[in-house]
Amino acid sequence: MKEYAHPDALVETAWLAEHLQDPGVRIIESNEDVLLYDTGHIPGAVHIDWRADLNDPLVRDYIAPDRFAALCRKNGISETTTCLFYGDKSNWWACYALWAFRLYGHGRVKILNGGRDKWIREGRPLVREKPVYPETSYAVPTVRHDKEIRAFYEDVRAFLSTGGPLIDVRSPGEYTGELLHMPEYPQEGALRGGHIPGARSVPWKTAVREDGSFKSADELSQIYEEGCGLSTDRQAIVYCRIGERSSHTWFVLSYLLGHKKVRNYDGSWTEWGNKVGAPIERP
Amino acid sequence: MQNVDPSLPVHLQEVVDLFAHLPEQEKRELLIAYSDRSVECSPKEGENFTLSDIRKDEECTDSVGVFLKADSQNRLLFRMTLGPHVQTLTRAMASILCQGLAGSTAEEVMAVPSGFVPKIVGTELVRQRSQTVYYILARMKGACRQLLAERRQANLASSAS
Repeated sequence: MKEYAHPDALVETAWLAEHLQDPGVRIIESNEDVLLYDTGHIPGAVHIDWRADLNDPLVRDYIAPDRFAALCRKNGISETTTCLFYGDKSNWWACYALWAFRLYGHGRVKILNGGRDKWIREGRPLVREKPVYPETSYAVPTVRHDKEIRAFYEDVRAFLSTGGPLIDVRSPGEYTGELLHMPEYPQEGALRGGHIPGARSVPWKTAVREDGSFKSADELSQIYEEGCGLSTDRQAIVYCRIGERSSHTWFVLSYLLGHKKVRNYDGSWTEWGNKVGAPIERP
Repeated sequence: MQNVDPSLPVHLQEVVDLFAHLPEQEKRELLIAYSDRSVECSPKEGENFTLSDIRKDEECTDSVGVFLKADSQNRLLFRMTLGPHVQTLTRAMASILCQGLAGSTAEEVMAVPSGFVPKIVGTELVRQRSQTVYYILARMKGACRQLLAERRQANLASSAS
């Protein structure tokens, strides 16, 4: 039986229950529901919001390194702290936050398998009290690791000519162009429906079980390696609409299957679908 | 009362005023309090409704039921059921609207503009992936539209006979 490539990157709820007081671990909740953390969170967890905390307010990009360092200091995170992310929606935004932390070179990261829903389903405690941690002296990162784990529009255009695997993790309706938005969500501003030419449709949900926890390494290998031809050293790019669902698949490929050359195209369909001159494909 | 919008029912205007000058953090806390109280909007045992509309739409993350009761003067009372995956802001808005639109007529509800929503929620919280705050008002208006259509039908039927 195949094992996860980086089993340390995924922890179970029982493990977390025993590490709530671990000073080397900072629990971080990242959600789509903007007020969910305030309604109750895992004891000791801090809240990092994908937009207010990680996105630059004026440029469509992530915050500058000095603001990232300030965010970490404020939340009691040092360079050696293990950041354990969890959240709603089967950990979409937890994976997005983890991926963003990796952009700044923070390598000690984990995901709570099954996320917030699994923790609650198991009857584990939530609290409303917001923790305050002593400020740290997190140094401003000098390098951003965009090149390794992030793809921009031009990268994807160039990648198309290689015929390399490009994975569209949106729902089938979004892939075919039948839907201009996710099922259950309002329109999010794409002018055209369809997908990037040559992209294969592998919805993010393919990687999880009914309870939101990740499938086994064997099952994941069957989906992505046997099914799509992805492999450890082969370049791949994943995308969705704004980069959160593709962060989830990026985590699966990078940490659970150990693929070393996977990049997340966070501009995703909200950029490609609107971009003047960008070719699209419909079935 | 400040910035009075004549198209808002009085009770809803009171809620808007309550939120209007709160700092962001207190606004959040009040929204959580409204969200907590959304269970109080559920139909009570033995209540009968003029109209019930329970469904799961593409625009919302879980099912929402709208129940409407009209008194002899066509003043409305709203009740709502919210599925477990309905977002916190949407829950808060359901609670606010059940309170704020109680006693309004269907015509008054139909005339409510959605511009009050950012005044309550704050521009920080209304953003991509939180647009479902508008969904509840749209559902309530939809129920009122249906009620008015049914009344028209009934009037036509009675005048024809």
